[in-house]
Amino acid sequence: MEDTRWTLRITAAPPTGASAHVRKHTFAIGAPMSFDAEYGAVTALEYLLGALGADLVGGIQSVGRRRRVEIDDVEVVVHCTLHNPMVYLRVVGEQGDAGIRAIEARVYISSLEDEARVRAVWTEMMETSPVVNTLVKAVRLDCTYQQVL
Amino acid sequence: MTKPITMGAVLYDPKVSVIWEIIREFFEANGMPMDVVYFTNYERQVEALVGGLVDIAWNSPLAWLETQHVSKNDFVAIAMRDTDCDRSTHFVVRKGGGISTLGDLRGKTIAVGAKDSPQATLIPVEYLRANGLEAGKEYELRRFDVLVGKHGDHIGGELDAFKCLASGQAAASTMLDLNWKTWTADGTVNPNEFSILATTDQFDHCVFAVRKNFPEDAKEQWLRALFSMTYENPKHREMMDMEGLKAWVPGRTTGFGILDRAVKHSHFFQEVGL
Repeated sequence: MEDTRWTLRITAAPPTGASAHVRKHTFAIGAPMSFDAEYGAVTALEYLLGALGADLVGGIQSVGRRRRVEIDDVEVVVHCTLHNPMVYLRVVGEQGDAGIRAIEARVYISSLEDEARVRAVWTEMMETSPVVNTLVKAVRLDCTYQQVL
Repeated sequence: MTKPITMGAVLYDPKVSVIWEIIREFFEANGMPMDVVYFTNYERQVEALVGGLVDIAWNSPLAWLETQHVSKNDFVAIAMRDTDCDRSTHFVVRKGGGISTLGDLRGKTIAVGAKDSPQATLIPVEYLRANGLEAGKEYELRRFDVLVGKHGDHIGGELDAFKCLASGQAAASTMLDLNWKTWTADGTVNPNEFSILATTDQFDHCVFAVRKNFPEDAKEQWLRALFSMTYENPKHREMMDMEGLKAWVPGRTTGFGILDRAVKHSHFFQEVGL
């Protein structure tokens, strides 16, 4: 069986942004990252974290539907820290790299279902989600969930 | 293409880069191309400035003195923030704690900021010395060396010093007047529990430093652009609020006397190998 490939085309959007073209969709991406709360675009780093959050939210809904576990709502709060953001800014004298040091994802699953059934959804989602299983090999990834009514 | 002016700045937090990016963009838009080089500490920046690798540097007051010391007074201070002028440091004590004069601090512990912080350590220690209190003799100095090399640009050391006072481990702590104002307003310091015992002589803070023989026309053009930044412009206001100013003003060096005396009495430059 041949590997399934996903292809995106990303083009420059000066001065520091990009446009990603995938299938029939296009989305704008800002700079790799920004420290400005007023920065007018979603950065590449934020898209990465958003992709993780979407993987968790979407995965739980999808697994829940297949298992016929009623999930009323899912919300994720994602926190991320870098090894040394000063390196990205090319600060003379700083050392290390600007890669992600740790990601913390707190998932809130709203459901009236039995705790064991929700836990089974969580476990299956964690075993099968593509972004989660990629990042967990690359960074310190801490995903936890809490069932809320 | 006009050769860009290279400007140096020390970053104590990545967010500070936003300030310089706004300034850089403004200069670019006004036909004054500028490259900003960030440094992890002032020693590196002073080395680059004196070595000619950067044209202009945003210097802390201590970095200004270092620059003049190393270059043998070859630089001028061309601009500063309005809020850099006439600052002072307070000695904060607990109300009802039995400390009502500087003399009451004899035999006590005084908490200060990082060893290279002009406002939180060097200047207040010099002020006490001038008032007959020598560190290590008349009182114990408890230093909070947070981010040494950044000359106390951040609030970390001062805040830790205050926490030391608040926990009862020190009889007084040092605090820049602006921080006292901010922290008593935001609840960090309860003015019903703590009060100002004494205040140092006034001093000046950061300056833009440039070599004396820097081309006069380029310097004038650069200053014209800088002084045209206004608080009324929303983009400039974002930068000015972050950097804590309402206007850029011409630089002066008359406010570094007490720091100069502090550096000489503490043999600061010899200790750091300058």
